[in-house]
Amino acid sequence: MTLSGYEALFFWVFGLAAIFAGLLTVMARNAVHSALFLISSLVSVAALFVLSRAEFIAGVQILVYVGGVMVLFLFVIMLVNVSAEERGKDEIFNNQRQVTASLIFCLLLVGGVLFSVNRGYQGLKANEKARPEALAQEELKADQAHATSATRSSKITSDSQDLGNGLYRYASLPFEIASILLLVAIIGSVMLARTLKQEASADDVDPDVLKEEIARDPELAKLEPQAD
Amino acid sequence: MLNLFSPTFALLLQEAERGRVAPMAEQMKQAAANPDLSKFLVIAALLFIIGVAGVLTRRNIIVIFMSIELILNAANLNFIAFSRYLQQTGNPNALAGQIFTVFVIVVAAAEAAIGLGIVIALYRNKETIWVDEIDLLKW
Repeated sequence: MTLSGYEALFFWVFGLAAIFAGLLTVMARNAVHSALFLISSLVSVAALFVLSRAEFIAGVQILVYVGGVMVLFLFVIMLVNVSAEERGKDEIFNNQRQVTASLIFCLLLVGGVLFSVNRGYQGLKANEKARPEALAQEELKADQAHATSATRSSKITSDSQDLGNGLYRYASLPFEIASILLLVAIIGSVMLARTLKQEASADDVDPDVLKEEIARDPELAKLEPQAD
Repeated sequence: MLNLFSPTFALLLQEAERGRVAPMAEQMKQAAANPDLSKFLVIAALLFIIGVAGVLTRRNIIVIFMSIELILNAANLNFIAFSRYLQQTGNPNALAGQIFTVFVIVVAAAEAAIGLGIVIALYRNKETIWVDEIDLLKW
């Protein structure tokens, strides 16, 4: 795969944007700023997906990550972070020694990964049969063959169609398992986020624990379903 | 000290004499104008390592979760780039990368929901989101 022209320009713009936004996510003092930088990093990566002709995944990335997961993150930050933000002057990183050790580890990891990508890619390139120029020509022809959209300003790709076909043909069982995983996650997060009051009113607390808690907070006794 | 590096300098001088440095710069320019699979891999690797650094260094548990999202996203970028590469070389299984990406996104969403549920429960009980203050299992 070789990008050229405007695609190359957009590749560098969005690639660098993704990396810088990622860095700022990790370094921002305020968790809300972190979340906003993460959103811009995710959107940049979605743009890279578009450049590698995965339009459907790019859309899913924006809908699910930016529209769903990040909103959830922001809600939790708002619920949890109020008093922590007031403290303000707290250190956001671990202690010096841990940070140094982990940064050294990360630098080693950077070196190793870049080295292996370089070496591995040279091997991959040596194995290529067709010339990249020929591939680009073929690609251009394939792009021209796509149907034009109603506005006649762009082409309609068959990416989502192909992905749907592939998903049901080769991965239908994992697809069903994924839906069950999501169901379990919904139920699990509802269970985890309940307060003691909600648990007591659903009669879902260990009786001994409930007795202790009633001693601390008599209000709870009213919520307990009366056994008769 | 200079002796340690002198082979490199000598090599560079040799290359410059033969007029190879200019072609090398030209080659680099060409590579920047035509980013290929390896550039995608480098960007994904950098995103991954930024995520790892975030998980290892931050104290705020929510930011640690965000760094994990960054790591998963870097993996997705790799999947998509390789899928594209295989597509272009005419591999019939090229879409496998995109299919796998869908599952990674599903698992990431489930993980975020459960993780944030745990964070809320933890905050109710311990009144803290700094990971170094959450040491119930430490003795």
